[in-house]
Amino acid sequence: MELLELRGISKEYRSGRGTVKALSDINLSVKRGEFVSIMGPSGSGKSTLLNVIGCLDRPSTGEYFLDGMKVDRVSDDKLSEIRNRYIGFVFQNFHLLQGLDALGNVELPLIYRGIGSAERKRRAKEALEAVGLSDRIHHRPSELSGGEQQRVAIARALVQEPLLVLADEPTGSLDSRTGRAIMELFQKLNTERGITVVMVTHDRDMARYGRRIVRLLDGRIKEEEFIG
Amino acid sequence: MRFFFAAQMAWQGVVINPLRSGLTVLGVAIGVASVVSLMGIGEGARLAVVRQFESLGSNVIVIKAHDAKAEFMPEEAEELLERVSGLKYASPVVRTNAVMRWRRARGQVEIIGVSSDFPELRDHRLVSGRFFTKWHVEQRSPVAVLGYNIGAGLLGGRSPVGQTLTLNGQTYRIVGVLEKKGPGQAESIDDKVVIPYTTALKIAGKKTVDELWVKAESAKAADLAIAHLGRIYRRKLGFDVTAPKPGGGEQQQMPGKEGAEKPVETLPAPQPEDHRKEEKPALELGKDIITITNLNTLVEEADKANRVMTLLLGGIAAVSLLVGGLGIMNIMLVAVTERTGEIGVRRALGAKRFDLLLQFLMEAFYLSGMGAATGTALGIWGVNLFNRYGFNAVISAEAVRVAVFVALGCGLLFGVYPAWTAASVPPVEALRR
Repeated sequence: MELLELRGISKEYRSGRGTVKALSDINLSVKRGEFVSIMGPSGSGKSTLLNVIGCLDRPSTGEYFLDGMKVDRVSDDKLSEIRNRYIGFVFQNFHLLQGLDALGNVELPLIYRGIGSAERKRRAKEALEAVGLSDRIHHRPSELSGGEQQRVAIARALVQEPLLVLADEPTGSLDSRTGRAIMELFQKLNTERGITVVMVTHDRDMARYGRRIVRLLDGRIKEEEFIG
Repeated sequence: MRFFFAAQMAWQGVVINPLRSGLTVLGVAIGVASVVSLMGIGEGARLAVVRQFESLGSNVIVIKAHDAKAEFMPEEAEELLERVSGLKYASPVVRTNAVMRWRRARGQVEIIGVSSDFPELRDHRLVSGRFFTKWHVEQRSPVAVLGYNIGAGLLGGRSPVGQTLTLNGQTYRIVGVLEKKGPGQAESIDDKVVIPYTTALKIAGKKTVDELWVKAESAKAADLAIAHLGRIYRRKLGFDVTAPKPGGGEQQQMPGKEGAEKPVETLPAPQPEDHRKEEKPALELGKDIITITNLNTLVEEADKANRVMTLLLGGIAAVSLLVGGLGIMNIMLVAVTERTGEIGVRRALGAKRFDLLLQFLMEAFYLSGMGAATGTALGIWGVNLFNRYGFNAVISAEAVRVAVFVALGCGLLFGVYPAWTAASVPPVEALRR
């Protein structure tokens, strides 16, 4: 069963002098439960691809099916809903809200889903426990280490019970040991919970935590490599 | 549900940056406070003037002669009641001074001589005893009604009714004490002694009076009476009554007329047409010799003038309120720029545009709401402070309502644009920051 299916996706940006083609004719499908790493040099379009997959951005042309739904042309609000229901995000620089403690940050997606306070708190605590942060629930991001902050971000993605977690350079701001611990966490979520993971990285070692590596160059898929 | 969360998150937005929020609130608060206190001063001044006029009695018309030759016989007051319909009470007024002796103490007091209609005419009750009667007036009785301050001072609070005092050496029986009117009210009647006008004329050594008071049954009757009175006195001074009335307003003024006969009971015959024409320039240059004033109109005019003043003050204050509102917009716009990342995260996590619109709008609303509340408190405090330094400012509910309404309105109005901007940021771009 294909969870993601991109057919002939391209993305152009209008810039000062003309249009910049960030993605051209991408065909990619990801099955439920896969762990895919997207690699490529900077400017190769990997973040743009991730944004399209994450419904943060619309493709210029092409068709995109997420869990069988055609989502390339749906409304802004519908995209918000899709992101809220299906997709968990983990960013390089964590993107936690500084004013909220760990629990508050993790609760956030559930707020937009309209879930009541008690239920939200229970699920947020569970998610924080799953990433090993049950003793940091009331710490603010500024009181947490980089690794801990990224765990909060992962918990925030987990709490949504997403079909898909998208990670954009999740270890980019972390030292290699912490980075490996984070990658192990992703791997665990992938194998134990069956969550599909699509990750963008330029770090070959981190990419190898996935079972498939997609290499991008100049907005096109250059090669795909399956690991063990 | 959605509103509740937006409200919650908006509150977080306020709390997260206390300095920024505090300064914004302060801006609005200063605006609201200045509206409340400045309008309070204006309104206070207005009420003070209105109260002062009202303390002179309602529907009262004052007829005053500014020239000794134009003075009135005291009996004219009574006659006016019969001649002019709609008039209920009348009194000649004699103002003079006398040396008062009470036991061993003595001092100058202001005397006011009136008819027995005085209490009804001036809407003035007595705290003890009763007012002198028509009979007292006719008999030129040596009776006195004391203003509240004098009455209360004589026996240290006990009623002095029945006691005697002397005015210019003649003994007077105290028959009543007037109710308190307050400092400066009703021509400071609290510090005066009221006696029959007949008796007062004797003290003053006069036969005529320069002032008459009449009271009409109603405001409407007062308007009609004043026109009638105008005709009467114009004719009496020898004018053509068919001539257009100067100004045509409620207050009728009769320009002096060179060589005008001293008015007597019998009206002088109108003078030949040509003679009057010849005199015309002198008429216009001459000062008023009789004025007839409807106190109602004075109240209205003073009220109007002060209302303009209040509005002006309010307008000035409103500008500062507007500036406070712009401050909200400014801060909110900065907040939107500053928090683009946050907006992106929220969008990524599933916030819809409406959620963000609501959140930022509510944040602006909170800031203006807190500003309005703080400002009202500051304004009330300001009014009290002004009053401590001798102003008569009042806390006007209208000013508070207007200020709060405008502040909240500004908050919402100036919050809409930043909120819309916030909601319109595409999530990808927001996340890139």
